Amino acid sequence: MSDNKEQTFFTALSDAVLDMDEVKVEEIAHRVIKEKIDAYRAIENGLVDGMNRAGQLFEDEEYFIPEILLCSDAMYAGLNILNPYINREQQRTRKKVVIGVVEGDTHDIGKNLVKTLLDAAGFEVVDLGRDVPPAQIVNAAIAEHADVIALSTLMTTTMDGMASVIKILQESGHRDAVKVIVGGGPISQSFADRIGADGYAPSAPAAVKLLHKLFKDSIYA
Amino acid sequence: MPDSTINRAAQKDALFPLQRLQAYAQGLPVDRLPCVPIVGNTAARVLGVTVSSLRNNGKILADAQIASYRRFGYDNIRVFTDLYTIAEGMGAQIRVPEDETAFLAEPAIQNVSGISGLRPVDPCRDGVLPEQIEAVKRVVQEVGNEVPVTAALTCPFTNASFLIGAVNLSRLVLKDPASVHHLCKLSLESALAYAEAIFNAGGTPSLTDAMSSSSVISPKQFEEFSYPYLKTLVDYIHSKSRSATLHICGKTSPIWDKMADTGADCISIDNDANLLDAKKKIGHRVRLMGNVHPSAIMLQGTPQDIRREVCKCVIAAHDNPKGFVVASGCSLPTETPFENIDAMLDAVREIGYPVSVGLLEEIVNNS
Ligand code: B12
Repeated sequence: MSDNKEQTFFTALSDAVLDMDEVKVEEIAHRVIKEKIDAYRAIENGLVDGMNRAGQLFEDEEYFIPEILLCSDAMYAGLNILNPYINREQQRTRKKVVIGVVEGDTHDIGKNLVKTLLDAAGFEVVDLGRDVPPAQIVNAAIAEHADVIALSTLMTTTMDGMASVIKILQESGHRDAVKVIVGGGPISQSFADRIGADGYAPSAPAAVKLLHKLFKDSIYA
Repeated sequence: MPDSTINRAAQKDALFPLQRLQAYAQGLPVDRLPCVPIVGNTAARVLGVTVSSLRNNGKILADAQIASYRRFGYDNIRVFTDLYTIAEGMGAQIRVPEDETAFLAEPAIQNVSGISGLRPVDPCRDGVLPEQIEAVKRVVQEVGNEVPVTAALTCPFTNASFLIGAVNLSRLVLKDPASVHHLCKLSLESALAYAEAIFNAGGTPSLTDAMSSSSVISPKQFEEFSYPYLKTLVDYIHSKSRSATLHICGKTSPIWDKMADTGADCISIDNDANLLDAKKKIGHRVRLMGNVHPSAIMLQGTPQDIRREVCKCVIAAHDNPKGFVVASGCSLPTETPFENIDAMLDAVREIGYPVSVGLLEEIVNNS
């Protein structure tokens, strides 16, 4: 298979994700399998590339929540088809992220976007939902052997829940086992520093970059 | 006018809110700019009761709102406990913590197949609506001759998100527009019924529509799924010869024109929006209201911070052609310190009217 032809497939996948065209993504994904194109690269250079471009359009305020959700649906449709064809060596264990909205807050649109883009970027994401008590977040992270805890809140009144998570981690001796990143409207870098978090990002695409930085670009365990 | 000795804050002001607003609208001299720190469940703190005791008890809710109005002396009472009262009446499950604001636990339906089972609310019967209406009635009886009495009304697109879930609704916007309209129409019917009940109680609905924010949907989607329903509500309010206030939080600059096109008389914007820009773009069409940061400043700031931020808002918008109301960008967090709410009103009293910008710039520069 020529690189050129492969690239045509990757571009088509990427475009179809960006166009929110679930049916087309599935169609191309099936052809990728038939043509024996490397599924792993089709995911990375096709599906994930499309999702990254969608994330950029979101940052530029050309795409809004509805568009991003449908792009991610299209991406997942492709992943479902291609994932079984990834070979063993490529299936290295990925860094695991436990994500949730802290107790008292039910705003979950932003958290869902972060989850989707982290997923697209190759992280394994466990979603605890919204309004999650600090102890439950820590317990889940321990049970899941998570590498990262990602905390979201949009309300000033619930920010303290983030500090509680870190405190519980410290007191139970698990602080060094996991990185904690925080985000959401009222959160800032200085707040993250103050509570001893490992990082803050202002948007979902920036959250991906942040984790790449924290893991020095090796997101595989 | 009522006996002003029972009105603590009014002792600080020459005019009652209704007198002030009327004079201000006619361009007559006033003692100060209108000022509305948007007090919701903070009223429970003023009365010394739990937040959950307000929601479903018209008497306590009214007493709390009246006590808060008397304590601070602001220019509009807004009966509001949470956004979910209509959706709850339509089957959504609401969690009511003992002493915090209620929130959505489960939407009314999980997918579009449930839509056919949904019915518009009967405000005289469903959920907590009868008690909220009772509160409006009592507040109007007690202080309605000195201050405007409004009640928050969650608008159709936002209410639709409580019926089927925000993420579900966002998907349907692109995948199944007809179902979104269906949900919005049912929500509109509910909203109109509730609005009528508010009018019958002597109050005016105050429109609020967070999900229509440009932080969530595009301007084009706003035009299709929010605008027509907002316009119907504004028209209805006008048919009762009342003026309409529309609040949308988050980013709104891309939809300011459309918000004004609804016919709303006053637009309330939050700290993600810029007052000066809003004045330039729509100030000749609508009164503006905003936008001191409800949490970073009102909750967490000092009285000095609040004085400074009020001055900044007034510098930006005091000369808005259709008028300006000094306000918080959104409803205040429950635990906002009383002295910070006092500080907002005291700053507005200090500034007085007409406004001297030079003086304000000095205050801003020196703090
Ligand atoms: C839509 C909305 C709602 C919807 C939420 C629907 C849902 N299922 O999520 C509804 C109508 C239900 C709602 C309810 C309320 N809301 Co509201 N809401 C908003 C609004 C307009 C937009 C939020 C949004 O979804 N933005 C879009 C997403 C994509 O952005 P985002 O969440 O910020 O996420 C991005 C980044 O922050 C970042 N990020 C997010 N999480 C994380 C996590 C990590 C780890 C990282 C790295 C990054 C990251 O990446 C995301 C994507 O790029 C904001 C306004 C605003 N200025 O934000 C108010 C706002 C958040 N709401 C507010 C309030 C007060 C409320 C209510 C309490 C109102 C009330 N009195 O009842 C209730 C909350 C009840 C509760 N206990 O939860 C306030 C919060 C004020 C504060 N700072 O405390 C705001 C800021 C409005 C205001 N100006 O006052 N709201």
